[in-house]
Amino acid sequence: MRVTRRSVLMGTASAAVVGASVLPGQVTAGIIKVSANSADKPMLVRMVQVVYPHAQFPVGCYERTADAIMAAADQSAADAVTFTSGMADLRNVGFEDMDDAAALAHMESIADTPFFQMVRGKTVVTLYNDHEVWGILGYEGASFDQGGYINRGFNDLDWLPDPRVDYL
Amino acid sequence: MNAIAQDEAAVVIIGSGAGGGTMAYELTKAGIPVVVLEAGQHFALRDWVNDEWEAFGQMAWLDARTTSGSWRVSRDFPGLPAWLVKAVGGTTTHWAGATPRFLDYEFKAASTYGDIEGATLLDWPISLDDMAPYYDAAEKAMGSTHVHGRPPLPANNNYKVFANGAERVGYTEYATGPYGTNAEPYDGRPGSIQDGFNFQGDKHGSKWSTLVREIPRAVQTGLCDLRPQSHVVNISHDAEGRANAVIYVDGEGNLQSQAARVVCVAGNSIETARLLLLSDSAMFPNGLANSSDQVGRNYMRHLTGSMYAWFDKPVNFHRGETMAGIIKDEVYNNPDRGFVGGYYMETLALGPAFMAAFLEPGGWGPDFANMMDHYQNMAGMWIVGEDMPQSTNRITLSETTDQHGMPVANVHFDDHPNDVAMRDYAYEKAEALYASVGAIGTHRTPPYPSTHNLGTCRMSERPEDGVVNKWGQAHDVANLFISDGAVMTTGAAANPTLTIVALAIRQAEYLAGELKSGTL
Repeated sequence: MRVTRRSVLMGTASAAVVGASVLPGQVTAGIIKVSANSADKPMLVRMVQVVYPHAQFPVGCYERTADAIMAAADQSAADAVTFTSGMADLRNVGFEDMDDAAALAHMESIADTPFFQMVRGKTVVTLYNDHEVWGILGYEGASFDQGGYINRGFNDLDWLPDPRVDYL
Repeated sequence: MNAIAQDEAAVVIIGSGAGGGTMAYELTKAGIPVVVLEAGQHFALRDWVNDEWEAFGQMAWLDARTTSGSWRVSRDFPGLPAWLVKAVGGTTTHWAGATPRFLDYEFKAASTYGDIEGATLLDWPISLDDMAPYYDAAEKAMGSTHVHGRPPLPANNNYKVFANGAERVGYTEYATGPYGTNAEPYDGRPGSIQDGFNFQGDKHGSKWSTLVREIPRAVQTGLCDLRPQSHVVNISHDAEGRANAVIYVDGEGNLQSQAARVVCVAGNSIETARLLLLSDSAMFPNGLANSSDQVGRNYMRHLTGSMYAWFDKPVNFHRGETMAGIIKDEVYNNPDRGFVGGYYMETLALGPAFMAAFLEPGGWGPDFANMMDHYQNMAGMWIVGEDMPQSTNRITLSETTDQHGMPVANVHFDDHPNDVAMRDYAYEKAEALYASVGAIGTHRTPPYPSTHNLGTCRMSERPEDGVVNKWGQAHDVANLFISDGAVMTTGAAANPTLTIVALAIRQAEYLAGELKSGTL
């Protein structure tokens, strides 16, 4: 198998040292700090919305997730390069101008790349850990400090009969 | 608390969970001083947090491990084969609470199931009759509901869906337990407030764990020297091949040695096997107590799988005791179903954070988002059944090393065809159950990182077939005991904690007798 930066980052090879490819598209000069590059954020927000589309989530939930992804991308040079080159790839194909169907199809076409997996992996542990999202999904979060649910609806389901709780 | 000198040959217990914590209490209760070496910190109930990811970061055993084999966990969670706890109390701080006993035939898997190709089935050297008094003792210790006169827990929302579905598909053996959490005050601890955070440590203290019961009581005797943040890396032996010291890294990173008269290993099946493999020597070149080459083999994890179903009305399954719902109807052996052995169905709920990570690992896109949108209307169950022991499903030492430079455990697992057949059958039954109460959608969730880790030092009549005898005493090393689920000859269908506690109570009684008679 051909060893590339991307294949190594996907875990299909190990302990290989390869040079990062030249970043395509936009020319970057000076220090790269992903989380300081607000120009990338709208496209990242769009990507996260396409990957985890919830019509009822306000854009703020997605923006907070995008911030977390960009902060995580600064953890290592490899992650920053993965992120920066992945965003450049999206720009080069005009991702921001795609309609929902085309954008989803494009995500499917890159789903096996380390860039996609990096964004998806961080999104799944961030977006669904957002307290505004919890409220929208009907999850009530911490409960011990409110006395649990013993007096707050642990058994309030009323569309089925009350079943027995002991063995016959 | 009495400090025990490090040069005093002591009874040393490694691990403070279901097995180690129980050993510590039972032995100190019998007047025997013990040193307990626990790798994790000593948290108080107030330290636990009602937040899935934060609690996971606080409690979980996150030291490196590696995986191999065709099981899906190796693909979805390659660095996290098991979901265990590193803290005083071990994984009893995380367990949900179901306490079914093993059934009679499950102690005789080889003779009941016959020859199953690829499986290394073996009958236990003990029977349900041998275990019955210790099951009674364990149920009383843990405060299991439904038994010994204790009341059942009430029905929560998830159980209402589960039990009504059970009734409609013709099941009869369903209830909210037995369950090791107080429905009403018992044994000095309060009744459940149904807060829904079973997996995150239980701030209320109504759930049994060795953190709230056995460890503090052992310490109260004045005979237990509990040493948290003591990560054991080696067990050494003398010229006669008897264990004589336990080497560990303390909280400051110093390498320490504790002289030992008896060593009880209870690090959970993965770390227990790893520790024996790490303790190789000229006399034991394949690892301590491993002349049989059975250490690490026959690793079992229960077949597991989950079914989530959603409805057109709210369920709110995150409220209440997570696993207080058990169906026993599928626990019997009838090969006509296409597999041997049986499985339980048990209620299960996750918050959105964990649901997103585990519902369909790696999943994304509109279908995934649509399932998450139904969160409030979801019900869920866990399928837990007997998996086949296989010689090649095993713990070995990895080329990856941990923070101490020690090789980590590699967990290799391939599903046996019997496991696959049982899981598929169980998924169909679960779908039928939820369809009967009006589910508008269901999803087959694959296994999570293993919470039930069994085998790897199995109990056997003949020394060549396993690692320990019927008391959990190593065939090769008379003063070395395995005190956790690693000793299980086969895994049965039941959640293992009750049986681990019962085995530890039994082992402690035997060990106390041997110590008092001077045999050890």
